[in-house]
Formats: sequence, C-alpha cells, structure tokens
Amino acid sequence: MTPEVAGVIGQPVEPIEVTLSVNGRDVTANVEPRLLLVDFLRHNLGLTGTHVGCEHGVCGACTIRFDGELARSCLMLAAQAAGHELETVESLSDDGTLHPIQQAFNEAHALQCGFCTPAMLLTTQQLLRDVPDANDREIREYLSGNVCRCTGYMGIVAAVKLARERQRSARPPDRS
Amino acid sequence: MSEDTIGRREGEPWIGRGLPRLEDPRLLLGRGRFVDDISLDGMLEAAFVRSPLGHAAIRSIDATRALELPGVHAVFTGDDLRAACSGPLLFEATLRGRQIQTTRQSVLPTDRVRFVGEPVAIVVADSRYVAEDAVELVEVDWDPLPAVVDENDALRPGAPVLHDNIPDNNFGHIEFSHGDVDGVFAGADRVFSKRFRLGRSMAAPLECRGTIARYDAATGDAEMWATGQGPYERRHSVAAVTGIPETKLRVVQPDVGGAFGLKGLIYPEDPALLVTAKILGRPIKWIEDRFEHLAASSHSKEMTVELEAAVRADGKLLGLRARYVGNAGAYAQLPPTAMVDALLAATMLPSVYDVDAVAYSVDCTLTNKCPTGAARGVGWVPGQLARELLIDEIARELELDPAELRLANCIGPEPRTTATGLHYDGGSYAESIRTVLEQIGYEDLRREQGRLRAEGRYLGVGISPYVEPAVFSTAYRQATGFGIATFDTVSVTVESDGSVIVRTPFHSQGQGHHTSFAQLAADEMGVPVESVRIEQGDTAGGVFGLGTFASRSAVIAAGSIAAASREVREKLLAVAGHQLEIAPEDLVLRDGLVTVRGSPSHSMPIGAVAHAVYFGGPAARPRELVEPTLSATRHHDPPETYSNGTMVAVVEVDIETGIVEIVRMAVVEDCGTVINPLIVDGQAAGAVAQGIGMALLEELHYDEHGQLLSGSLMDYLYPSATDVPAIEIDHLETPSPVTAHGVKGMSNGGTIAAPSAIAAAVADALTPLGVKIDRAPITPDYLISLLGEGSAVEHLHPEGHVS
Repeated sequence: MTPEVAGVIGQPVEPIEVTLSVNGRDVTANVEPRLLLVDFLRHNLGLTGTHVGCEHGVCGACTIRFDGELARSCLMLAAQAAGHELETVESLSDDGTLHPIQQAFNEAHALQCGFCTPAMLLTTQQLLRDVPDANDREIREYLSGNVCRCTGYMGIVAAVKLARERQRSARPPDRS
Repeated sequence: MSEDTIGRREGEPWIGRGLPRLEDPRLLLGRGRFVDDISLDGMLEAAFVRSPLGHAAIRSIDATRALELPGVHAVFTGDDLRAACSGPLLFEATLRGRQIQTTRQSVLPTDRVRFVGEPVAIVVADSRYVAEDAVELVEVDWDPLPAVVDENDALRPGAPVLHDNIPDNNFGHIEFSHGDVDGVFAGADRVFSKRFRLGRSMAAPLECRGTIARYDAATGDAEMWATGQGPYERRHSVAAVTGIPETKLRVVQPDVGGAFGLKGLIYPEDPALLVTAKILGRPIKWIEDRFEHLAASSHSKEMTVELEAAVRADGKLLGLRARYVGNAGAYAQLPPTAMVDALLAATMLPSVYDVDAVAYSVDCTLTNKCPTGAARGVGWVPGQLARELLIDEIARELELDPAELRLANCIGPEPRTTATGLHYDGGSYAESIRTVLEQIGYEDLRREQGRLRAEGRYLGVGISPYVEPAVFSTAYRQATGFGIATFDTVSVTVESDGSVIVRTPFHSQGQGHHTSFAQLAADEMGVPVESVRIEQGDTAGGVFGLGTFASRSAVIAAGSIAAASREVREKLLAVAGHQLEIAPEDLVLRDGLVTVRGSPSHSMPIGAVAHAVYFGGPAARPRELVEPTLSATRHHDPPETYSNGTMVAVVEVDIETGIVEIVRMAVVEDCGTVINPLIVDGQAAGAVAQGIGMALLEELHYDEHGQLLSGSLMDYLYPSATDVPAIEIDHLETPSPVTAHGVKGMSNGGTIAAPSAIAAAVADALTPLGVKIDRAPITPDYLISLLGEGSAVEHLHPEGHVS
C-alpha cells in the first residue's frame, strides 16, 4: 500500500444526507460516502432479500430496480441513490402471499438454495415487461446477467414461461 | 376435494409426487435467513490479514498502526488466540488405516504461510469497512520462499518442500491390484494409453462462507451461526481445536446459499472467530468476500490421470492400469482430506465396465495452492474424463462404434462387487445407455454428423455412462479406505395436537429436505405432508449425525425416518386401539386419521390420540405402554448404494474460434425410487450445469510462484443461462435392494458425467482433424492450439497459435 492511501484511511469523513424512495416509501438517512447501496439496503434498512454474491457486479445477486431499470446495487453507492426510486424483491409482495411470478417459481422448481432468487425474480419481472414475446434463447440472454449455481436454469426458464402464460391468460386477449 | 393440485388422491403415498417445495415461500419473498441476514446486539465485524504470497516465512506481524485506527477493537495473531484458549488451534489431517502422512495446519500461523490467502491475523472493528481499512495497516514482514504449484513437479526430487515432515510432498501413496493385471497386459492384442489433466475448479456457491461467533463469559457457553452442511461436524471440529467442550458449543446453520461440499469442510476462520469472541466478550461476524472465497476456501479436482487399457482385437476390455496424481494444495483439508479426489477416482476405475484385472496407484501431492477438498463430483470427474475419452480413442482406433463398444463391455444389472471392491446394489447400467441413445436419436445424429462434415461443420456426439456412489456411509468408507465409522440419527415426535416434528442432523443447502423428508415422514406416519415439520441445522434441537454431503441425506433420512416413524406409529396405534377398544392390528393410520379396517366411520383423528397420550394419564393408554411419549430416535448407517445413468452431449465446434456450442444434452438417470421427481430433476440439471463449467469454463489459475490469477468472477467463469442448454432428462427406476424404499442418493451424477460427455463430443467432432483431447476445461485457446498443431486447419491460422 502506498503512503498516500495509508494517509487517507481513518480520516474523518462527513456523512451525507440522502432521501430516496424504496418500494414506494420515502426514506431519509445519513450515510458514509463510501457506503455501498446494497449494504445500505440490507443493513441500514433491513431489506435482506437483496443479496451479495461477489461485490464486483458479475453474479447479479444484488440486482434491484433503480428508476425502473435493473441495476447492480453492489456497484453503486448509497449516496448515488439520493432522489431516486428503488425497488427490491420486497416490493413484489409484503403480506406473505406469493406474487404470480413467485408462484410460478415455486411450481416450476426454479430455486434451490434461494440465494440468487430475489434478483432472479426482479429480472424475470423486467423481462416480462421488456420482451414479453421472448423465445427461449432470448429468455436465456435476458437472464444471463444473473448467475444461478444450483438449478442449471432449467426451472427458471420454465418459470418465466409459466408466469408469462398466466399473465397472458389473465389479461384481455387484445392487449395494447 | 378428492384430488389435490399434484394429483394425489387421499390415502395415496406422498413418495413419488412432484410436490412443489414447502420451503420456497420464505426464500421467494426475500425472507430467507442467511448468515449475513443475522445481526446480534453489540456485534462487531472481522476481516482477516491474508498472505499475498504462495510460500513465505513470517518474520514479524506489526499491528501498531492498525490499532490506532478509530473503530478498531483488536488485531490478534495465532499466538494471541492460543494464549486465550485451551485447545491447540491446529488441524491435524490424516486418514486412519492407510499409509497416509499428516499435515498440520495452524489456525493463523505465525511462522510460515503456504498459499495465497492463508489467514495470519484477525482484525475486529465496528464495521467490515473499518476492519478492511485496518487490514491494510497491519504490516507483515514476509520472507518469500520458493513455491511449487504443479502436482507432477511437486513429486520431483529437489522440489520446494511445504511440510518438513513430508519431504517428498506426497500426502498419500496407495497401490492396489486385483486379478492378473500383468498377464492380461502381456497377452492383450492391443494396449492403449492416455494421459489426461483436469484443471483446478471449485464449488463456488453463490453465497460465500460466513460465521458469527458469540461467547458468554458468565456461563462459558459458546454459539456459532455459520454456513454449513450439518452442524455436528462443525461443532465437533471447532470444539476439538478450541478446547471448548461440545456441550458448551451450540452451532446453528441458518439458510445456506449453496454449498456443494465446500461448506461441509473445516476452516481456520471458525475457531479464530470463536476465540476472538471469547477474548473480546462481544459477538463477532465475518462474511467472506468473493476474493477470499476464490483464494482461500476450498478448491477441487486438479489431477493428472495416466491410463492404460489391455484390449482384445474385438474390443473386449481385459485390464486397466491407472495412475492418479492429485493436487492437494497446501494442506490436507478435513474432512475427508484431498484423497477424496485421487482415491475416489481410483476406486471408481472400472465404473460400468466388466473388467477383472485392475491396478492403480494414487499420489496426492502438496503444493502452494489453496487446499482442495470435497466438491460436487469429487475425483470421479477427472477419473471419468480419462476413462471415457480413452474408451472413445480405443473405439476410433478399432473402428468400432463407441456406443457398441461400451455396451459390449458393460456389466449386467444385478448387484456385483467390482474389481476395486465396491459393492454395487444393481442398476440399469446397459439399459440407461440404450435408453438415452434412443431418446437422443443416435443413428440420426450420426447421419447428421456426416452431412455436416461434408459442409465443413464439426458436430460431435459424446457418451458418458456413470455410476454414482450415493451414500458416504461406514460401508462405503470401508470399501474405499476412508477410515472412520459414522452414523446419522433422526428423531420423530408426534406433538399433542397430532402434528409431527422430524429432527435431523442434515442440512439443506437447496436440496429441498423440508419437502422430501416431509414426504417420507408423511407416508411412514400416515399423516398429511402439511402436518410434518422438518427441523435441522441446530445442535440445540437436533440429533447427532455428520450432515449433508455425497448424496447421502435422502438414503439415510429414508432409513432413519422409517425406523423412528414405525416405532412412534406403533405406540399411537396401541393407544388408539385402547381408546377404540380394537386390536391395533385392525387399525389403519392414514392422512392423519386412525380408522378401523373395514369400518371407515369408526375413527379417531391422530390429534385426539396424541392428546390422550399427553394429557389422558395412565388410563388413556394400554398398560404395556408405560411411558407417555410419542417420540423415537433411531440411527441409520446404510450399506453401499449406487445410482447410475448415461449422459449424451451433442456439440458443434467452431474450428476458427475454438468455441464449443452444446447443441443438446440428454441424460437418463436412475436413482432407484424417486421421492420427489421435481427435486430430482432440479438436482440432475444443476449437476449438469456444474459439469459444463468444468468442461468448458471454470479453472483457477496460479503462476509458478503460487500467485492466484483467478481472483474474481471475471476470471473464474460460472456457466450462465446461455452456456447451459435445455437439458433432456429421463428416468429409469431400479430400486435398491438394500435401502429403505429402494431410495438411492443422487445429485453428483450430472457433474461426474457431463464433462466427459462434452469432452468426448468435442473429440468426436474433431476426429477428421486428428485431434485428441487431453485436458479440461476445453477453452477456446486450448482448442485453437490443438488445431493449430494439426495440418488440416493450418491454412486457417497462418500466423500460428492464437491465444
């Protein structure tokens, strides 16, 4: 380690006040400038459904929705979220009943250990919005930013299609 | 409703049903409870100072500047910890009953490190952020030593020595011979040989390791919340090295985000954390980061295999000779040491083939790399790769079809003892080959292959029949040389309302125990599956056993749940008979209702029977039932049992880029009686995906100094959804004659078979180019280097090798 870096460690840093929306609720907090967004969600807000798998943006376990777009919360600082709208897995259901996508994951055995699952659910929800007519290859492309080490993706792809089928049959045939 | 959502009618068995998993809702709702989701009052966080070098002596460790940092509570070396506990803080690893050496791994060594990432000091601070800052300020004076990283180099005279008590770097050397090996090799029409090397991979679950340790000075009680595969193994090992009595140590394993063997092993961080918590009087949390995980948890499977086959002119296999050189890394890792790769590869040498003359030697070398231990598929993976690729090469040389050659040499379906001393309990060895070939349309594929070759495209088909040792029990340990006897217990209790609690020493890391064990108990007890609760992962509420690894839980749970449930059900029926004034033999317990045989209206709910036992006093139960308990604890230690199956991979190789595309992947697997087909298919597919990783993507690289070059997930590549094809799974069921319900364990099969199916398919595709596959993972640069050597495609790469 260089002396310059060593000199920085331990220097007092002023916390930053942030106000943001998480799952539809406004939150205000004082955060250290270097606090990762995922740590803020998990440890400051107690939203432990979002997981940390690699802390370098590869595995996708920390995926959240940031102003309507999927984002890696391990590659962002909490301070960057000020003024933005965030959604985590806890947005899908907060009363213990399963969201239709969660129901499809259960029926199609789309999870084993469940560690990648919350992020996979958000990605699936976004997939069904962005590319509702995706074929199998496109589904796999869309999911390829989220690693699952357990399932071999077989149940996940099946769950995506099952959720889509249910969504379609629940809607009037002429959707636009 | 007479039929439920999974098509089960009242009274029908739960076993065999694809019941969606009962444990899913909390995981889907984001309410799982993984170790990093737990926070205790007054908790501090830890980070470890780790070796940046592959091999070095430690001159000094100076924590002065780290301790000056605000928010830092302590920096401890191994000496500090040893002064604060009565245990040795040392792992001594060997295998009993074999000529195996002993490695000594100090918890936070103060004299010498042997691999990059080895922890030498623990830093405790208010947060992980501050702890990591402080790690940067700990000054360690390292004295670099020469390193050795390759398993073959490590055996050469003059190689750097890792452990003074093991001057040849060989942790274990074993030789075995059965039948007239020299005779059949001398008399054979042909002898074929092959040298194959599998690179170093690892289980790498998506959740890294983590532990919270707490010590109560007032009572001397210690607690650990930790990732794991069964709490008793962890309690046993941590207690032994810290000197804390097992009765004073509670280990809780919450939800675990994948493990695949890695989290069942013993690591120095756990005892270090516990003793640190004892010194500081505060709970300490450590969550491993991905670099620590890649560098310093457990690696797997790196091995050189040399094989020879004695063959008759018509393709009949007469004898096999093999040499397995495993790469153990810096220390033998407990349990069950790095021999789990090389020795298990060796004992599986004959696999599905009818060969009597078999000889092998095993070496297990110590190198300046992360220790290796059990990970899904273990040494069966490189063993399978070498054997099946050699069989394909024999077929090619003798101009025989590789499927026909395998079928001609395949053992029959009946139980048998292999030349290496394993006791197979029967299986669909040949039938699975025929079934999968039919399923995939083998003849059509061969025609398609010919057609594409004419177009200059390279399609290949690889066949990989496998046998999966499916329970690591005492019998299997004895057959393979893994020393100690073990057993696992299960307790079954009917509570006063008639609901059923099953306590087990196993721990699910995604296998769905809460569902499949509930199905087993529901059938054995005669209750609805919803009324069964499975408890596991806590030494405070559990019963002893070694936990979940090596496809053992289903088999052992089936046996022990059966035994305990039958005992409890007998008591229940005795009380019900007493209440209903009917002989217990005339009663049926089904779906939670005790009915009189032939008189369904004459019945009593299980809750009423249980209530009578708990609160009815002596008059409520027959005189011979002295104790008012509805609980039984029974152990199980099954005989050897083996799943089997065959996998076929179809690949297309792009000879310009060296990229292998998996076109199709089909498996016919046979794990005996299936408890839950949904879960079995999930395990089969997941196992294949990990096999694809080993075949094409995953490798942990080190340079010659022992420096890790694969320290992130940008270097160590997981299969993504686009790397794994839709997997075609079909089942055969050959129930085991030696286990409860005929259940055989499963989940390693796909990992054992997929790499060899893929490698064989690549070799098959490239047959016209005269290329042989001698290593995996089969990366694009490796293939390009092979193809560059062949004259057939030289024109494509006039500038030489592409890398």
